Amino acid sequence: MKDKLLALRDEALSRLEHSDLEAWRVEYLGKKGELATVLRGMATLSAEERPVVGQYANQVRAVLEEAFAARKAELDSHQATLREQAETIDVTLAGRISYLGAEHPLRKVIRRIEDIFVGFGFTVEDGPEVELDRYNFEALNLPKDHPARDMQDTFYLTDEILLRTHTSPVQARTLERRCPETPIRIVVPGRVYRRDDDDATHSHAFMQIEALVVDHGIRMSDLKGILVQFARELFGADQEIRLRPSFFPFTEPSAEMDIRCIYCHGDGCSTCKQTGWIEILGCGMVHPHVLEAGGYDAGSLTGFAIGMGVERIAMLSYQVEDIRQFYLNDVRLLEQFATLTR
Amino acid sequence: MKITWNWLSQYVDLQGLTPKQVAEDLTNAGIPVEYLAPVATGIENVVVGHVKSADQHPNADRLRVCTVAVGAAADLTIVCGAANVAAGQRVPVALVGARLPQGPIGKSTLRGVASEGMICSASELGLDVRLLPRDQTTGIFVLPADAPVGESIVEYLELSDMVMELELTPNRSDCLSLRGVAYEVAALYSRKVSMQAPELRTPPQEKLPLTVEVATDRCMAYSAQVVSGLSLRPSPLWMQTRLLAVGVRPINNIVDITNYVMFEWGQPLHAFDYDAIAGGRIIVRDAQREEALMTLDGQARALEPAMTVIADPEKALGLAGVMGGESSEVTANTRAVVIESALFDPLQTRRTGKRLQLRSEAGTRFEKGIDPAATLPALARAVELLCAYGGGAIASGPRLAGAALADVEPGQDAVRQVGVRAARAAAVLGFAVDAGQILSVCERLQFAAREENGTVLVDVPSRRPDIRIEEDLIEEIARLVGYDHIPATMIVGPLTGGELSRAQYLTRLATDHLIALGMQQVVTYSFVSPTVAERMRLQPDDELLRMIPLLHPLSEERSVLRTTMLPSLLEVAEYNVNRRRVDLRLFEIGTVYLPESLPLQKQPTERRVIAGLLIGQVQAPSPHGESRTIDFFDVKGMVESLLLRMGLEDKAQYTRSQAPFLHGGQAADIETAGSAIGLIGKIHRDVCANFGMDLTDAFYFELSLEALLPLVRDRLRVEDLPRYPGVSRDLALVVSRTLPVAELLSSVRSAAGLFLEDVRVFDVYTGEHVGDAEKSVALRLSFRSRERTLADDDLQEPMAAILRAAKSAYGAVLRE
Repeated sequence: MKDKLLALRDEALSRLEHSDLEAWRVEYLGKKGELATVLRGMATLSAEERPVVGQYANQVRAVLEEAFAARKAELDSHQATLREQAETIDVTLAGRISYLGAEHPLRKVIRRIEDIFVGFGFTVEDGPEVELDRYNFEALNLPKDHPARDMQDTFYLTDEILLRTHTSPVQARTLERRCPETPIRIVVPGRVYRRDDDDATHSHAFMQIEALVVDHGIRMSDLKGILVQFARELFGADQEIRLRPSFFPFTEPSAEMDIRCIYCHGDGCSTCKQTGWIEILGCGMVHPHVLEAGGYDAGSLTGFAIGMGVERIAMLSYQVEDIRQFYLNDVRLLEQFATLTR
Repeated sequence: MKITWNWLSQYVDLQGLTPKQVAEDLTNAGIPVEYLAPVATGIENVVVGHVKSADQHPNADRLRVCTVAVGAAADLTIVCGAANVAAGQRVPVALVGARLPQGPIGKSTLRGVASEGMICSASELGLDVRLLPRDQTTGIFVLPADAPVGESIVEYLELSDMVMELELTPNRSDCLSLRGVAYEVAALYSRKVSMQAPELRTPPQEKLPLTVEVATDRCMAYSAQVVSGLSLRPSPLWMQTRLLAVGVRPINNIVDITNYVMFEWGQPLHAFDYDAIAGGRIIVRDAQREEALMTLDGQARALEPAMTVIADPEKALGLAGVMGGESSEVTANTRAVVIESALFDPLQTRRTGKRLQLRSEAGTRFEKGIDPAATLPALARAVELLCAYGGGAIASGPRLAGAALADVEPGQDAVRQVGVRAARAAAVLGFAVDAGQILSVCERLQFAAREENGTVLVDVPSRRPDIRIEEDLIEEIARLVGYDHIPATMIVGPLTGGELSRAQYLTRLATDHLIALGMQQVVTYSFVSPTVAERMRLQPDDELLRMIPLLHPLSEERSVLRTTMLPSLLEVAEYNVNRRRVDLRLFEIGTVYLPESLPLQKQPTERRVIAGLLIGQVQAPSPHGESRTIDFFDVKGMVESLLLRMGLEDKAQYTRSQAPFLHGGQAADIETAGSAIGLIGKIHRDVCANFGMDLTDAFYFELSLEALLPLVRDRLRVEDLPRYPGVSRDLALVVSRTLPVAELLSSVRSAAGLFLEDVRVFDVYTGEHVGDAEKSVALRLSFRSRERTLADDDLQEPMAAILRAAKSAYGAVLRE
């Protein structure tokens, strides 16, 4: 009986590889299979032999079942391999990519600058582009026929209504609206208009960003502090700045801020006209007349204002030579900004 | 404003300073020097020569063989081709080995005669020939007879003098004169200005009488004097070269002297022909209605009462501060001139100049305001120079009129007192300032000042009209101490949280969402052409026609403010399609300008609009099957996605739009609760064609940001997750093909009862299995109870109710 089992085991194992797996299982392990047949013969054995042979028989069953499972796994894996081979594709082919959108470079610059000032605790304000002479000029210490109005040729819609020539009327409006509240800390992005013929450096419409702080005890050194930090955030941690005296009707003292040339780092190049410095924005301490026009007491409050051209910063940052590029909207240029992470 | 180094050095001590240093320091003090370079460069070994003889060349008709003395032992033989060379002239001679801007000069032989150098023309010396009189630019440059033979031409013509161009801010009109710049430089280096004001002189005998009368309040001061016996000739060469260097064309001694003195003192002057003035009487008055004047430039000008004229009792002689008249112009026949030095109302000068489109160096100075203290010295200086270089003699006493001269002490500046407190200066600037420092700054500026109870009282001279209030003086302190001295500090005050307004935040959200959907942001101009109305097929009563016109547009093409974003985006599309970029998904969040009425009475409403324009393929070409052209539902999907992102998709309704610029069958107005928030649709074929795009299926959408603003969701409380499973049922209803599915859905929703959770259309079928005028709409209805698991029985009544409602409202039939 024992020999019979051993012979059965060896035969089954030797045939496993060449048989159909299911047929093999039915033949040897099935209810009517060889092993079952042998076991049915156990009834003829003596009571002493029966447990011994039974144990033997179970061992053989275990060996065969294990062999079956291993063979099945082997065949399944082979099947899977074949299936994958049949399904193999060229992974180097491009995927179904959807179009990549992009933010316009001018909007990108505005967002960046807004974020810097929001980080300083400034609120973003805006105001109308079609403005009253009163806010665009008069409240900003630019009475009618002031020669400084010539600095900004204006598009008029009527005698009193015009397209704002700068974002500064939002200063006047904010002061008037919020008076006597302090502190005022605002940043104002927006579109402005000047009656200039379009060329590589002029556009009849362009964008500015303006910042205004009004409070007790605001000093010009605070202005410088904000500017130093602003320049570092916008252009890099080691960015140097300098202030030069200048003139704006709505600030006194007034200054022009230069940054150390971001291309030659001060050695002199064509961008900085060999000076090592690039003019980037105008600023100054809010003129007392502007504070008074807004209802504030210029004797006890001071403030500073900063104004810059968005296109100029975009031109410098992205090395765009012609301001009109921003308004042509050639998608071949705009698409390049899809890959810029900030 | 241009000046030269040598000219400046006449009025302020520049010892030990270099032009480069001064230019840099002026720039840092708020007087930016835009340009700094010598008058001419690259000239060596060119000297003044004396032409002793000029004989015909033996072998050439057009050449002369000259013997030229150059101050050396031996005279030179030079062959010269210029027609104007003649014996006795003083001329610039380039010696052998000389350098000129266009190259070196060597020994040469011309038609058999050896030439030992070259006699030079003005252009060969690098002078600006456009500004020189014609007779000095044809042929060789003939120098005055007293030019010292042998002297270097660079020295003689001051060609190494440095020209500085100042870019002045409007407040610094004082620096429109060498006098002003001299004071500025003096302040920078604590030096003294040495500028003498000559005194007005009265002749022993009044030869040519003159009276002056001011009959308008638009002339604050008028001074004049007659100089006779003049001979009109070129001004001295040094004066010509200086004027040339600062960009003024030399004309004759009289004109040159008025210009020279204007640069020196900042006071414009005018010379009238004395004989043209009837009765020797000058009257300054307002122009009369219908009065006419022939100005110096030969133009007949129609005058208006708003203009001020210089007149005699019979006629207008010139426009005050703007331009002289032809009848009183100084000519070769002039035997005496009246020199005018006056103060005219800046506004009047500015308006008249603008009205007649006349801009001049003099006009600019009048507009910005002139120092009354310079008026009389300038007159005296001009008279002095006319006597010295015009052969003239004083023929009348100086005549003065006008209130402004009354307060001026001869030789003394008028002053305005402005106080500045050291504590205030320190508080504004952010660094320590004491009275001593302020006094020292005043000393440098040559302002008299004294301290009184903590305030420094400053006598600001009239040459600095920009200094009026304490802050102006604080700027002077900061400027002269140096802006570099200002420390960088942090604002002291309460913390404030920076933030965006809701509208700004929503703008960013929409921008980011549309970009993520693959759209390209653009930025377009707000000005459009009025022709867009017609190109957009707008009807006469369309409110989009109310485009606000600019009073003075730069071009017809950009002459009105847009009322819709569509033409702006179409222009961008056209530009790109013309460059073969035919797959476009453009958007802009821009402004449109909607007036309440036209002509404009008040500021228009400015509405922010999210607008998009899509053309071309749904996807970029890929190897994975054919792409297809974008259609209405691609675009609607984007709009729905954006509205969903803002939390209001459920609220939006789409109804067929009548917009004339959109396709009659593929356009919808978007509304929420009955108010319009935007529109979407295929752009009308003709509109595409009118914007230069024939082929294209183009789609457009716009959403009003203001309309969305009150609807967006910025708070969320999460719903509990359901505890019981939902059940879904599909239902196909056959309805009329023209029935909008949205209507069917709304009747289904209202009939379905409490358990309906969601209903979606998953198929719309038309074809052989339904009638020609019918369609089958397949709905998937999801039901759920929050209290229990629904059984089949629970759905029988709702399903029956849905069918009943659809049948009674739309004749819907269940499709088996």
